[in-house]
Amino acid sequence: MIKAQSVRKVFGSVTVLDGVDLTVAPGEVVSILGSSGSGKSTLIRCINGLERLDGGSITVDDFDVSKPKELAEARKRSGTVFQMFNLYPHMTALQNVTLAPVEVLKRPKAEAEAEGRALLASVGLADRADAFPSQLSGGQRQRVGICRALAMKPRYLLLDEVTSALDPEMTADVLDILAKLAKEGTTMVFVTHEIEFARTISSRVVFLEKGRLVVDLPTEQFFAADGGLANPRIAQFLSKMRKD
Amino acid sequence: MRYTEFTPFDIVLLAQGLGVSVGLFLATTVIGLLIGTLWAVVRFYRVPVLTQVITFVAELLKNSPVLVQLFLVFFGFPAFFHINLGPVEAAVITLSGNTAAFVYVIAVSAIESIGRDQIEAARAFGLTKWQVLRHIIAPQAMAFAIGPLTGLLVNQLQVTSLISVIGVMDLTKIGNILNLRTLKPFIVWAVVGVLYYLAAKLIAYAGATLERRLRAHTAWKGL
Repeated sequence: MIKAQSVRKVFGSVTVLDGVDLTVAPGEVVSILGSSGSGKSTLIRCINGLERLDGGSITVDDFDVSKPKELAEARKRSGTVFQMFNLYPHMTALQNVTLAPVEVLKRPKAEAEAEGRALLASVGLADRADAFPSQLSGGQRQRVGICRALAMKPRYLLLDEVTSALDPEMTADVLDILAKLAKEGTTMVFVTHEIEFARTISSRVVFLEKGRLVVDLPTEQFFAADGGLANPRIAQFLSKMRKD
Repeated sequence: MRYTEFTPFDIVLLAQGLGVSVGLFLATTVIGLLIGTLWAVVRFYRVPVLTQVITFVAELLKNSPVLVQLFLVFFGFPAFFHINLGPVEAAVITLSGNTAAFVYVIAVSAIESIGRDQIEAARAFGLTKWQVLRHIIAPQAMAFAIGPLTGLLVNQLQVTSLISVIGVMDLTKIGNILNLRTLKPFIVWAVVGVLYYLAAKLIAYAGATLERRLRAHTAWKGL
């Protein structure tokens, strides 16, 4: 269970997260929607401990991310996929995938490599395992990014606008993989601008505005005329996103 | 009556001088690399006080002439610490410190050149600061630093010639002795210059070879 309680994050004079409460139970796929600057990415970065909280608390399976020792445990339970891939450029695709399992989980190298190759094969990159990131296309890089997160066998997959740096064709590739993961019951927290995709795979949708979590509804209700759409701000946001 | 002709033994003398210069260069390079890198790691961990002290010391060493530092060590250690230093020891201390200061600067900028995003990714996956340094930063920082380091070391080889003034029998000192005996400066210094040149070329070659190997991952840019 990921539990965020009255989370506050301030950058200088800007309050990016202003008392956000969010609970994600195992098996759920939660989409976080909201216009840019609403604090979506920051929320993800607070969950994996890349940002320090200025108020409230976040626990991942009861491990408090604001305590260094517990953060290490919390991080073993969540895997992050980044908007700009953030691969290690000096390592091959396979090395990118196996680094954390070997170093953090202390898995034997041969075992981690076998699993890494299997993961890469499952996303259609069997023959690219020994390529460096600079030799891969954007879509291929992001698939490596997903494998890198999955290699940690995370209980929670945190996805931070993972398709916004990709063209539509590559986006489709990556979304297919995520849809498959959702079907397999992977717990995901999913920051996205792909509204239609969020609608098909999520069990719940939350809407952030100016650092506040204004709506938290089951997917069907969120998109229903008398549910989330009754909120004029959400209706406006959705119609705008669909036009793009 | 003086013997002004060159003798075959002069070649042995030159070889010995070259040996002393290269030996001191190698020893001070190893020590300087170790200390300079260690200082950069201390700074990476932002150890309070120690980081400020290191930055201050490095600034002093970078911004004063090596010859002045050499005199301060050679004459200062006996005077202030009552430690008697031979010329070779004074040379090792001074050159190592000087190399360390410049290695520190290069190492710090190399560490800072590594993209924040990769480091964040590694941290998010639970790697410790040390593991990040070892697996993410160090290999890439080395590739970044090898060019400036090669330049620094070529220069530090030439700087070793300064130690001849405190009586170390290095290549320059031998050149000086041969020059005084034979009174043929253009032959002696040309030969000495060529020897330095060849040694410097060797360093540059080694650096370039290492750089090519460390940059293997950027060699092919496609798609």
